[in-house]
Amino acid sequence: MNCKKCGSPKTVILRKKDYYCNDCFMVSTNHKFRACIGKNKVLSPNENVLIGLSGGLGSTVLLDLVHHGVSLENTKKLRITPFFIHLFDDNCKGLAESIIVQCQKYNFNVYVVHLAVYMSSNCTLPEPNCIPDVEEKETIAFRDMLNSMPPSAATDFLLKIKRSLLVEYAKQLKCNAVFTAETTNTLAINFLSNLAVGRGSQLQNDIGFCDARDEYVKIIKPIKDISNEELKYYVDIRQLAPVYYSDIKKSSMQSVISAFVSDLQGNFQATISTVCKTADKIGEHNNNENIMHERCVICESDLQAKDMKLSALEATNLSRTVSFENTQLKQNLENNADFLNNFDDINFSMFPLIHKYLCYGCSRNYSEMSQSALPLHIQKKLNL
Amino acid sequence: MPVPCRGGCGNNAVLKRPKTGDALCKECFFWAFETEIHYTITKAELFNKGDSVAIGASGGKDSTVLAYVLKTLNQRFNYGLNLMLLSIDEGITGYRDDSLETVKQNRDDYEMPLKILSYKDLYGWTMDEIVAQIGRKNNCTFCGVFRRQALDRGAAMLGVKCIATGHNADDIAETVLMNVLRGDIARLKRCTAVATGSEGTIPRVKPLKYTYEKEIVMYAHYKKLVYFSTECVFAPNAYRGHARALLKDLEKIRPACIMDIIYSGETMSVKEQVSLPTQRICSRCKFVSSQEVCKACVLLEGLNKGLPKLGIGKSSKAKRMLEEYNAKQAEKETVLKDVIQDLNDTSISDDTGHKNRKKDSNKENASNGESCNKNNCCGGSCRSKTNVDVAASNKKLDMLLEQYGLDDNTSDKKSIKENGVTDTNVSDENGVTDTNISDHSDDETPFNGQEEDDTCSSACGGISVGF
Ligand SMILES: [Zn+2]
Ligand SMILES: [Zn+2]
Ligand SMILES: [Zn+2]
Ligand SMILES: [Zn+2]
Repeated sequence: MNCKKCGSPKTVILRKKDYYCNDCFMVSTNHKFRACIGKNKVLSPNENVLIGLSGGLGSTVLLDLVHHGVSLENTKKLRITPFFIHLFDDNCKGLAESIIVQCQKYNFNVYVVHLAVYMSSNCTLPEPNCIPDVEEKETIAFRDMLNSMPPSAATDFLLKIKRSLLVEYAKQLKCNAVFTAETTNTLAINFLSNLAVGRGSQLQNDIGFCDARDEYVKIIKPIKDISNEELKYYVDIRQLAPVYYSDIKKSSMQSVISAFVSDLQGNFQATISTVCKTADKIGEHNNNENIMHERCVICESDLQAKDMKLSALEATNLSRTVSFENTQLKQNLENNADFLNNFDDINFSMFPLIHKYLCYGCSRNYSEMSQSALPLHIQKKLNL
Repeated sequence: MPVPCRGGCGNNAVLKRPKTGDALCKECFFWAFETEIHYTITKAELFNKGDSVAIGASGGKDSTVLAYVLKTLNQRFNYGLNLMLLSIDEGITGYRDDSLETVKQNRDDYEMPLKILSYKDLYGWTMDEIVAQIGRKNNCTFCGVFRRQALDRGAAMLGVKCIATGHNADDIAETVLMNVLRGDIARLKRCTAVATGSEGTIPRVKPLKYTYEKEIVMYAHYKKLVYFSTECVFAPNAYRGHARALLKDLEKIRPACIMDIIYSGETMSVKEQVSLPTQRICSRCKFVSSQEVCKACVLLEGLNKGLPKLGIGKSSKAKRMLEEYNAKQAEKETVLKDVIQDLNDTSISDDTGHKNRKKDSNKENASNGESCNKNNCCGGSCRSKTNVDVAASNKKLDMLLEQYGLDDNTSDKKSIKENGVTDTNVSDENGVTDTNISDHSDDETPFNGQEEDDTCSSACGGISVGF
């Protein structure tokens, strides 16, 4: 069997049926990356782009693709000015070190930032290419905050923290765009996880090509159309060394979903691409595009609620209302003929601060955590 | 340590609500459970005064609780509804008998008229006759297609204004996940609606949309409602099987996720550019269809013309693979479920010798055609094969029992009809009762190809056009 493009002996087999030689495969993968950016038309020429690196498979390939693109000297040159950042945690300093090494091979500078800066929102730029010292007080506060919530909420919240730090540092570096390296697998996991935490209305931003929730900074997923199968060939051919690490907490819903998706990948590869194609068809609810709505303090999602006669949010609040201290309500219902009138002030204790400051998912997380553990700048915005 | 009821009534709690975590006493639970359903009905304006409403009745827990609660609320709040039970009998010898007995019991207990319609009534053919025509190989196609439309046809024959089905919150969350897995964006959009139905069709409503399956089981248990609990013989399609397994695992971690998934489905929007296939009405029978002429009419045409293979599509290799995989999973699950159920059954076992009862349970298994599942086939047509497998599966069960270190007398399979309840409770660390649902008998789906799906109608209280 030979390469379907040029006829030389095949070295790459995709989806068990498409044969390529190394050269043609690399050309086609590069093309996918460029086409994804090109067709979505969100970048202007010579734009500053902050590239978030996690060290994993997607991140490693993205770094190589960007390097390849900006090194070209012809009309195909990728016209961006890249900046690199890695958000790290105490327990994976080794990962941070290997990312610094990865970047040095390409002569790129990388900023390494501790996640705990979220606590102070002091987003000053550190020296590039070194692991910064962080105040212990801050790292402890950060860990305490995540430990104060159940694993599912913590895993979800961590994604929001990373997103918000990327946006902050992009602003520092005057970047209007951020690249992140979600693969089809991570997107399938994130899709199902979003559903499981009530973030169905945020899917377009979290799973789609572009997260446009921030007014100034767009977060783009330029390799979302490249499959894991392709990424693995890519790192083999280029002899790159990804470092696998997952933020997903044990015994969380996300870990169950992650195992479920890997299982699917083993048995039903097609299902993962189906899930991702479904994601492409999901949009954002918007009654009026021209009005800037209030946004969630934690994830910047639109707080305007979709107009519904009855929703699961209301049903949950009603369940709490009829369960908690219900003796007065029982009496009222017997005396008041108009049933629905009795529920004018429904009990919102299951969803604190919802719609005013927080979206459904963030409100759920908030209700499950120790609220005093939140960073002061967030508490302030929540008017606590 | 007794936990006080969160209602503030001074009683001790008997259960913890999975949706909110609130611990309630029995009385407060009944009141909360019923008030919530009344709220859904009122707020979503599911019924109009004077409507006649058919309750899709299978004898299972969901439709039994639905019938009981609707009758109660109809009286308490003066809905002015004319309620009736509608059951479908596929006419597969021996298969539906027990569940239909339970539906008849519902009829007497709740003093509601019951209409049992057979495939013969609805389509002019029984499944047995169809099998005789086409052989066993393709009867799944027929059974599935006919089942999907049966409630609609039945409701039309009864002349009702609307059909109420027993779909609960778990079913809906599961369907959201399933539609994501198979990339069915049109159904994903529709499946969380509390009422469905297009122009010219009889609408279907789901009053239990926000009611947890666990609470339905507890409600039936405490109210001592009689229902029939068995594995539905209609194997779910592969996607539903996966979705169900995933949901169960998620629920264990965060019970509220069922509501969260429903909320996700409700608030999700489809991009404007995406064109969705429209639901239309079959030009022949006027029931909902995705094509000009619906599949049921095509199949009927074939039968009546003596060309029974007409309209039977080939399933692709991939699908078959999925089916087989899923069937195997389902088989494993069935055995495990039996074990779990047995584990839970100790508290209501009676004095009958366990050897004896075990035999009974085998018979029950066989007559329910449970092991048919592994062939992903419908109903009774392959039951002869099933009987052969009983010994083998029994051995497997014994092995599992041994592995789990159970006492022999715990392996008694309880008979629901005797006890009137199907469920036992285990206490969690708070000393609050939590149910352990070991059966999911309702709303199964045959795998009949991508274009249609839908839950088991008559058997389980709800097919759904909207799904
Ligand atoms: Zn080639
Ligand atoms: Zn939010
Ligand atoms: Zn009480
Ligand atoms: Zn028709």
